[in-house]
Amino acid sequence: MAAFITRRLVFVVLVLVAVSMLVFGVTTLLPANVAHLILGAFATPEQVRALELKLGLTDPVWQQYLRWAGGFLTGDLGESTLMNRPVGPMLLEAIQRSLMLTGLSFILIAIIGVGLGIAAALRHRRPLDHGVSVATYLGIAVPEFFWAIVVIIVFAAWLGWLPASGYEPISAGVWEWAKHLIAPTMTLVFGHLAHVSRLTRSSMIEVMQSPYITAARAKGLPERVIVLHHALRNALLPTITVLALDFGRLMGGIVVIETVFAYPGLGRLVVFSIQNRDLPTLQAAILVVAAIYALANLLADLL
Amino acid sequence: MLVIDDLTVRYRTAGGEIEALSSVTLEARKGATLALVGESGSGKSTIALAAMGLLPAEAMVPSGRILFDGADILTMKAEARRQLRGSRIGLVFQDPFSVLNPSLRIGDQVGEGLVHHRGFTTERAFARAIELLDEVGIVKPESVAKAYPHELSGGMRQRALIAGALASEPELLILDEPTTALDVTIEAQILDLLEDLRIKRGLTMLFISHNLGVVRRIADEVAVLYAGQIVEQGATEEVLQRPVHPYTKGLLAAIPRIGRRMGRLAAIPGRLPDLRNPPSGCRFAPRCPFATADSANPQSLLAVGARMVRCSSAEALRDTPWPVQHETVPAATAAAPTASAPVVEVENLTKSFVLSRGALHWEGWRPVRDAVRIKPVDGISLTIAPGEVVGLVGESGSGKTTLGRTILRLIEADSGLIRIAGETVSDKPQSALEAMRRTAQIVFQNPDSSLNPRKTIRELLGRPIARFGLAPKAEIPARVDALLDLVRLPAHYADRYAHQMSGGEKQRVGIARALATEPTFIVCDEPVSALDVSVQAAIVNLLADLRDRLGVAYLFISHDISVVAHLADRVAVMHHGKMVEIGPADRIMNAPSHPYTIKLLSAVPRVDGPPLARGGVTAARNRGVMV
Repeated sequence: MAAFITRRLVFVVLVLVAVSMLVFGVTTLLPANVAHLILGAFATPEQVRALELKLGLTDPVWQQYLRWAGGFLTGDLGESTLMNRPVGPMLLEAIQRSLMLTGLSFILIAIIGVGLGIAAALRHRRPLDHGVSVATYLGIAVPEFFWAIVVIIVFAAWLGWLPASGYEPISAGVWEWAKHLIAPTMTLVFGHLAHVSRLTRSSMIEVMQSPYITAARAKGLPERVIVLHHALRNALLPTITVLALDFGRLMGGIVVIETVFAYPGLGRLVVFSIQNRDLPTLQAAILVVAAIYALANLLADLL
Repeated sequence: MLVIDDLTVRYRTAGGEIEALSSVTLEARKGATLALVGESGSGKSTIALAAMGLLPAEAMVPSGRILFDGADILTMKAEARRQLRGSRIGLVFQDPFSVLNPSLRIGDQVGEGLVHHRGFTTERAFARAIELLDEVGIVKPESVAKAYPHELSGGMRQRALIAGALASEPELLILDEPTTALDVTIEAQILDLLEDLRIKRGLTMLFISHNLGVVRRIADEVAVLYAGQIVEQGATEEVLQRPVHPYTKGLLAAIPRIGRRMGRLAAIPGRLPDLRNPPSGCRFAPRCPFATADSANPQSLLAVGARMVRCSSAEALRDTPWPVQHETVPAATAAAPTASAPVVEVENLTKSFVLSRGALHWEGWRPVRDAVRIKPVDGISLTIAPGEVVGLVGESGSGKTTLGRTILRLIEADSGLIRIAGETVSDKPQSALEAMRRTAQIVFQNPDSSLNPRKTIRELLGRPIARFGLAPKAEIPARVDALLDLVRLPAHYADRYAHQMSGGEKQRVGIARALATEPTFIVCDEPVSALDVSVQAAIVNLLADLRDRLGVAYLFISHDISVVAHLADRVAVMHHGKMVEIGPADRIMNAPSHPYTIKLLSAVPRVDGPPLARGGVTAARNRGVMV
């Protein structure tokens, strides 16, 4: 097992190195002159030239990459060309907020998805089963931004219960903080339930028909014990794998959700830095997303 | 103790309602063992499920009562039924490999009934489970209780299941084919254990089995089921030695017996009636050689001496044996084993598998992990003459199947020489085995998984003929018809798919496919193990006929020693990858020399011969033996 984990961790590192090269390569190919961007439209060619030399932009690409990667390893993520702030603390703040959102969504997806799956399996081919199927399919089939807009219209515009967008730190009051999280969480959860609930349902149906469940019934065990103690243990194995993979998908999902809800997290930072050609921020953010994705997959394999 | 009165059970299926049981009336007396015997589709497992109140949702019970200690299980509240299950009635299932929950410890599974029925704490139940495991003869019960099912052998699992069923000291134990998945030596131990427990605890047992030899060892009384009806019921020894109902006669005649080599087995022709629409008359009549005009009328259970028989001509048939049909073998084509060169020669064949790898350690400068190996084929030498049948017996895991497949190079050997039809094939690459693939074929155990479900029989049989270019394309249909005729299937079966045929018919197709390339040698890997006794007899006869007509040699692999004894010219006994004994079938069966062969033969449950003393005899000896 230890050997397996070590081998997989080495793979993760290799993947991240490859991703970093890719990210760096792509961003340097972008038709944007960083020095020009920093200095603004009215800079003279001499000023641009001088700054290029200072930033090392005239060096060969591989030297630039090594310098950048070396900085990354020592904790120096560079400086945002747009906001003139170090990328590190900015990124950390965004990651914290995004993890708050995805973590909450993830827990709810696991609990609600598994619960719906069990309920549907135990009422196999009855109205509740069909209802759960239709609802979860609807959730996954319609794009997230659509649900985001529906949630905003219903809860913010009509009912006025929740703010339509933004973020408040927890220091502004727990309720204020929670209020801003509910709408994006709801949207994320609804869009991701189908995988978990469908898989739990089908493996639960299969397990409930297995001989050891009949044997448990023959022992006269209460139905609650049979479902939760005997069946769920075995039925959850494939679900756990998919859940871990879903965590990676959630990290992708937040790009859209954070943009729609103007939630200042990692996803929004990525979009923002692309729109403004803020290359150091973009490179760092994408690398972080890739790392989270790779680690989630590793975890899925281990479970 | 348990009275089943006029029980009828129907299953709703997509194709209509199936009547699984038709007015079955039975009584299991306190402290005695009642056996239910029947082939697949007879309804015997339905009785077990009904008695436990575990019938699936598709089942309907239009009539009948199941009285346990006077209370009707069918009409009592679900909660009361649950209280009865696992507390006063225990159930042991057929397949110890799938009825234990893979993710729970053995001790928890054995003891959990106590937690829910007797209010034990989990710890106390676990401690009691250890005692129970000890009682069913498991050595080191503490460590077994902490183990997970996959860590145990089949015999140990079955013991654990019995321990679990005994946990809350039930008065009635229902056993559904409890030894079918086990090897004969383990089976003998389990039967002794059950008999022991019955005496010690005064248990009542309802024992369900298809194996008449097993039933003879354990049951006081036997009820024979056919197509959902009891056809004969009486004291075990009486029924087995002097069967009255034609079906019982046929079933007993179909069983191959050690020490009595007949030309052909008596098969029961035909198949079960359609239970969606059971005939109003005798259900066995279409297959019965004694059918009379009265067979079309409904038959009721009549007393014949001390037993009950569902046949109006029972009195007249009392002493009439089942007719043995002799297949006529055209003398001109009958090939006797000749003294010509052997068709298969195997020398010092060895194959090992790596089970797992040990811990990492250093050997000089490089890290090494020792492989934990098993050798399912360990230095085997064997020759098979043209037209000879060599039977290969041994328990599961002894390497029989691996040997068969290694000879055909479906598994690559580690070392050793294989020569087939005079050609050395062990040193050739797979691509150069064209000729061998034609000469040597295989018939698999399970035709369900070895026949492609999406191809018609014509395609399945035509493929090898086309592959080896044995006939021009236009002639292939005629060849397929000839093959079907050879295995005695009607020509219109060529357009069927595998799922449209019965188990026996599918196995005939499996044999026809092996014969398609006109081989001189066929490995038959447990070809009749998945079949009912009456069907098994027909397939064994077919294989014997084909040998006589075509001169094919077989390596006939089976765990059923009686079948091998019947069919084989020579018998080889395998144990832990080694061939411990090989010799003429008669000598091996009557005068085995190796201790393992003797042990194996003595464990085989037989329907004839002197009745074995029940219980205690081998139980005492086997106590403390890890199985």
